[in-house]
Amino acid sequence: MYRHLFKLIWNKRKQNSLLMSEILVSFLVIFAVFTLLVYNYQNYRKPMGVDYENVWVINYDGDIGIKDNDSINIFYETLRRNIKSMPEVKEVVFSSNNIPFAPVTMQNGFDYNNKHISHVNSYTVEDSYKDVLNLKMAEGRWFNKTDAVTRYQPVIINRSLKEVMFGREGAVGKVYGEGADHNKKQVIGVVEDIKFKGDYAEAGYAHFVRADTASFRWLSRMMIKVTSGADATFEGRLYKLLAGQMKNSNIEIEHLANKRKNINYFALVPMIVLSIVSCFLIINVALGLFGVLWYNISRRRGEIGLRRAIGATGKSVSSQLVMEAMILTTFSLIIGTFFAIQFPLLNVFNLSAGIYLTALGLSVLFIYLLVMVCAFYPGKQAAAIYPAVALHEE
Amino acid sequence: MIRLQNIEKVYRTDTIETLALNSISLDVEKGEFLSIMGPSGCGKSTLLNIMGLLDAPSKGDVRIDDQTTQHLSDKQLANFRNQKLGFIFQSYHLINDLQVLDNVELPLLYRNTTAKQRKLLASEALAKVGLTNRIKHFPTQLSGGQRQRVAIARAIVGRPEIILADEPTGNLDSAMGNEIMEILMQLNKEDGTTIVMVTHDENMANKTHRLVRLFDGAQVQ
Amino acid sequence: MLKNYFKIAIAVLKRRKFFTFISLFGISFTLTVLIVLTAFIDKVVGDDYPDKKRDRSLYITSIEEIGKDSHSSSPPSYYFLNRYAASLKTPEKITLFSGFSGTNTYINNKKIAINYKYTDANYWEILEYKFLEGKPYTRQQIDNGERVAVISADMKKEYFGDVASVVGKYIEADNIKYKVSGVVKNLPITSYLLYSDIYLPFTVAKRDYKHKAYLGDCMAILLAPSKRDVSKMHTEYEQVVSKVPMENGQFTSIFSHASSYIEGYVDTGNEKSSGVTIALSVIGGFVFLFMLLPTLNLVNINITRIMERSSEIGVRKAFGASSRTLVYQFIVENIILTLLGGLIGIVLSLIALYLINNANLIPNLDLTINFTVLFCGLLVCLIFGLLSGVYPAWRMSKLNVVTALKAQ
Repeated sequence: MYRHLFKLIWNKRKQNSLLMSEILVSFLVIFAVFTLLVYNYQNYRKPMGVDYENVWVINYDGDIGIKDNDSINIFYETLRRNIKSMPEVKEVVFSSNNIPFAPVTMQNGFDYNNKHISHVNSYTVEDSYKDVLNLKMAEGRWFNKTDAVTRYQPVIINRSLKEVMFGREGAVGKVYGEGADHNKKQVIGVVEDIKFKGDYAEAGYAHFVRADTASFRWLSRMMIKVTSGADATFEGRLYKLLAGQMKNSNIEIEHLANKRKNINYFALVPMIVLSIVSCFLIINVALGLFGVLWYNISRRRGEIGLRRAIGATGKSVSSQLVMEAMILTTFSLIIGTFFAIQFPLLNVFNLSAGIYLTALGLSVLFIYLLVMVCAFYPGKQAAAIYPAVALHEE
Repeated sequence: MIRLQNIEKVYRTDTIETLALNSISLDVEKGEFLSIMGPSGCGKSTLLNIMGLLDAPSKGDVRIDDQTTQHLSDKQLANFRNQKLGFIFQSYHLINDLQVLDNVELPLLYRNTTAKQRKLLASEALAKVGLTNRIKHFPTQLSGGQRQRVAIARAIVGRPEIILADEPTGNLDSAMGNEIMEILMQLNKEDGTTIVMVTHDENMANKTHRLVRLFDGAQVQ
Repeated sequence: MLKNYFKIAIAVLKRRKFFTFISLFGISFTLTVLIVLTAFIDKVVGDDYPDKKRDRSLYITSIEEIGKDSHSSSPPSYYFLNRYAASLKTPEKITLFSGFSGTNTYINNKKIAINYKYTDANYWEILEYKFLEGKPYTRQQIDNGERVAVISADMKKEYFGDVASVVGKYIEADNIKYKVSGVVKNLPITSYLLYSDIYLPFTVAKRDYKHKAYLGDCMAILLAPSKRDVSKMHTEYEQVVSKVPMENGQFTSIFSHASSYIEGYVDTGNEKSSGVTIALSVIGGFVFLFMLLPTLNLVNINITRIMERSSEIGVRKAFGASSRTLVYQFIVENIILTLLGGLIGIVLSLIALYLINNANLIPNLDLTINFTVLFCGLLVCLIFGLLSGVYPAWRMSKLNVVTALKAQ
């Protein structure tokens, strides 16, 4: 039977070409939308990696107008002590300005064993970073005071970087880099992935460097972990303290939870707009398909009557028509899949093949379902055609 | 073979009731070639449809092969038509998008046959109607007579015991019509197939074993 | 004849209600999305408040330094602009201003986030902000380093509440009290070059704004004396930039351009990829793909409609209608249908824009339909009608009379 239907459709390919191209374009649109959704969903499912509740961010200008390194350190240590002495403050950390949920990126390359990995995010942070953000270690340990004097520069990498760099073997203790020992780096710990760009973005590769006394010249962010009772009154007090101490600097306090919300908008808004638009497109296409299939069936009343006369049941007629639509769809999908499969093959947009394949599977399923739904009613109408009437119409 | 008893058929619309067949009783013997004649609208096509189980009578009983057909389900009816009956129509009803061979194979698709067997049977049927050299053509590439021969091949491919022909020569000139008639008569004689034919043409009707005339839904001869 | 076509068209559309519905749905929906998109683009890049002299202005928004292994780009610094842009001969006036950045203020135990921006005095002369009260700060006040501010209407409402006048009152931001000198009409954040909640003189900046570096946080608008001088001004700046010494040995070239508003708006900060090209291809690609589906759909439905009417066409042909008249008839029918869909589309867009404006997705961004947008909509309608009508009409003209008559 399939061969028969296949032949029937193949012989009608010219008439069906428009319908097929419509299904093809719908498929490609759906594929694009599903790729985006699958990508975002896969990222969304992964843990955030940080606790953003009750963490406040302080933006300040790093250049405070002091030239001497020691004086800078004294200035910031005093500041830190004063902030920590407030009862609402649990912990304070200074960081480079690429804090979580900030639209700032600092990246460099990473070489180990002749393997080069680019786009590795680099974060300069202090020992208390782990406690402020409640990071989880996968292996090894976080920075502590003993890292101040070491043979190699200690670094911590995230799980994604570890997996691509060192595979299954342990990363802790590995040394990489070129030149003298103090230019080389040694991995002392692996931290679980952190989604720095919000819920819907990939964690990416990350490596953390310990801030030293010279870093204070250019660090421009503080993060503080506050108690759950910290309110706007306290924030006002904190602000006065900061503004009073850092006279040359503009200061802004933000809440990490709000920053997360804001950065999520950038992923959510395109998703929502695209989904709404494609929803309407699909309704449009579905109505069109429905109309054309319906008309095709009314045009084929004679054929349907004949099939009934020579022994087809009503059910087999309606399932035949649905099957025909499905085979037509299959032709379109084969062509569509050929285009879609180029994305993982050519590694467009640097997404993993799994995302494309999942999206591909979902779109194929979606299009089949759509066509089936559109063909179902006309098929049922066809089954109700009375052969005695249909055969004598012409 | 076919036994109709007190068949009545009423068509109802909102306002009018039309009596298409009025108490028809008819027996068709095995191996008989019967023709039905009558003016347009006399109910002969309705009668043929009822015999072919395409339409159910309003009243009365249709027995085929001593089997009552009243309570058969849609599936059983379809099966019955497929196994026992073959149809030929005035306007051929070939599927234009399928090649001749595929058109002839059509009835076999609704039973369990292998592709190879289907091809074999269809080729045989086509040989019988003398169209062996046209199996790869599309119906639109054939003349009217050839098309009707394809339709006959399709009707006999499943080796049915009964063939129901609804004005098979109606769209053809007399030469082609005679050709078709020859084939039908040969089928009746050689294979013993029972044939019921509705026709307008007195000449054609005279070639059959028995003639039944209908007028306004009633049997007059 | 036309009236006759019209009558038939309406009759046909009424007869096949389902197909008419599908066609109208497709056309009106597509048009709605396109109109909303155009309205958005038109508002974002086409709204000339407050830079009404756009046609004789050029914008310097970025500087790029490129070396063998290094590449950095950002807005230029005050130092760079003051030294290389402010000395240009062609412009009638030049203003330097910083991008906006955030700070907070706390009032009555409530936190208010404030975006601030530093400007010079020319800023208020080149840009025609609408002052709801008060006036801009003067050159004199800037030179004296007075703590004065121009605030937006939204800021006034949020900080002071519903009061009649706030000129002369003090607003605290970043722990400093500024005397309000004027209140201006709000800008949406999409006009990000000029947007801010409070505007302050450069001289009150806490940071050393004259810091010697090329990269910074500053932008400039160059105002030419007339439209004709714009290209001269552009060339002059190119020449000046080409002679700028490298900041350090790391870099081998410096790029910075004085460009039109739109070029400056979509600047990517990368010499090799033009923002305009990217924006155009993204929008073009979207519109193309987006229109392709409904068009295909419409063509499909139109063919179905024609085939369904093949006996009517056969009869017309048999009674002497030429293929040409039939094609005209069909195209007129289709254009009536598209225009009808366009009308519904415009109504739908009005509703959609009303909803979008009410949802206040982007504060102060009031989307409206103007003549540009309507014209685009009409154009889209016509393209739509032609695209989806021509192929089916061609198919129809090929229809054979005999088969057409026999088909029914």
